[in-house]
Amino acid sequence: MSASQRDVKNRIGSVRNIQKITRAMEMVAAARLRRAEQRIEALRPYAGAIRRMTRQAAEAAGSEISGLAILRQHEAENSVALLLVTGDRGLAGAFNSQIIRAGLRAAREHEGDGRAVLYSAVGRRGVSTLNFRGKEPVGRYVGFTDRPSYADAREIAEELIAAYVDGKADRVEIFYNGYISPLTQEVRRETLLPLQQATILEGSDPEDSDHADAADDAHSSHHALVEYEPDPDEILARLIPDYVEISVYRALLESTASEHGARMTAMRNASENAGELIEDLTLEMNRARQAEITQEIMEVVAGAESLT
Amino acid sequence: MAKTPFRTEVLTPEGSCFDEEVVQVSTRTKTGSIGILARHQPLLGMLEPTELRLYRSDTDIVTYAQGEGYIQVSPDGVLLLVEEAHRPESLDVGDLRDKLRRAEEALSAAEAGTEEQRRAARDRRRWEAFLQIAGGAAG
Repeated sequence: MSASQRDVKNRIGSVRNIQKITRAMEMVAAARLRRAEQRIEALRPYAGAIRRMTRQAAEAAGSEISGLAILRQHEAENSVALLLVTGDRGLAGAFNSQIIRAGLRAAREHEGDGRAVLYSAVGRRGVSTLNFRGKEPVGRYVGFTDRPSYADAREIAEELIAAYVDGKADRVEIFYNGYISPLTQEVRRETLLPLQQATILEGSDPEDSDHADAADDAHSSHHALVEYEPDPDEILARLIPDYVEISVYRALLESTASEHGARMTAMRNASENAGELIEDLTLEMNRARQAEITQEIMEVVAGAESLT
Repeated sequence: MAKTPFRTEVLTPEGSCFDEEVVQVSTRTKTGSIGILARHQPLLGMLEPTELRLYRSDTDIVTYAQGEGYIQVSPDGVLLLVEEAHRPESLDVGDLRDKLRRAEEALSAAEAGTEEQRRAARDRRRWEAFLQIAGGAAG
């Protein structure tokens, strides 16, 4: 075997190894994606129950809920907090970069309008990119993007709420990859605070509302008898911030599902490319081998001819 | 006399972790410890971190470390909506001590009257309660 053949053979070997890795990563991402999808599903009953309870408490309280600090719009918007939800790891196509791009674009808009921007980031990728660009994030939340828990979301939401209520930020926006399907994710930009009253009292999940109305009807006759501990206003004051927590949690879950989906797609493409590369290299190797054989035959024939 | 069983569900954002018939539920609301038997008056209450005890019978008791949440008692049964519910044996004492220490630091750093301070106080209460439950499970 000639040197060039051995070279090509080595290259085929290493591409094949890479292909094994990308295939394995694709499979791992697919398994994690399924789990992430299940967790999005698991949140629904809880979110629905919180919404029903809020309606019940709001009815019983009978007062305007708009007095709560997180619902009150600040008169002047001087500073905005942006939360960028990225992943801890790369190798997932445009997953991380598109969030950072969207966040920085929005930041430029806000700064153009004279508002100061405070950054927070979920995921090592977002934190390190922001640091690199000299936009140091005030909140850094890393180490859980593979499997975010509600406690992670609560920590983030509570810090954002505290910043809003204590007047450090007059508006809070979140950027994350919304999960549509394993193949499609879209960058979503949502306003977390001030919390919109509409998101609380009109259910945003159509599938919840039928169920909720039926339950409301069933319970309406008992309303007068319900005992509240403590009184409904106080319960309501704690239920409302839960919406922010749930929104953050849902964004984290969707982002995780999107990350696994994006990685699955990226790794499938990588495996396919590796396959094509292997085919090309094999062809090249066969050609080199054929050329060598032809060469040898020619030499033999020429040698034989010279003897006659 | 045998107690009447009623349906009780514990629902967390990560899914339902208990959905069975029990004869008694005991937990803690903002105003104090509370025990619920069948045919309790309809109630909507705010739960504080504590040890949640679900009595399948007088002797068979399932316990959870319960975070903040809500309890709804209706004629159909009891619904506990909690932010987190862990089996006592799954709690990590070292991790909880860390969290408690961080909450205490945050509390002493926070200015009085701010949301930041209220939040740190909530965290401290929760980790204290969990630590107590974890200690009880270990000892």
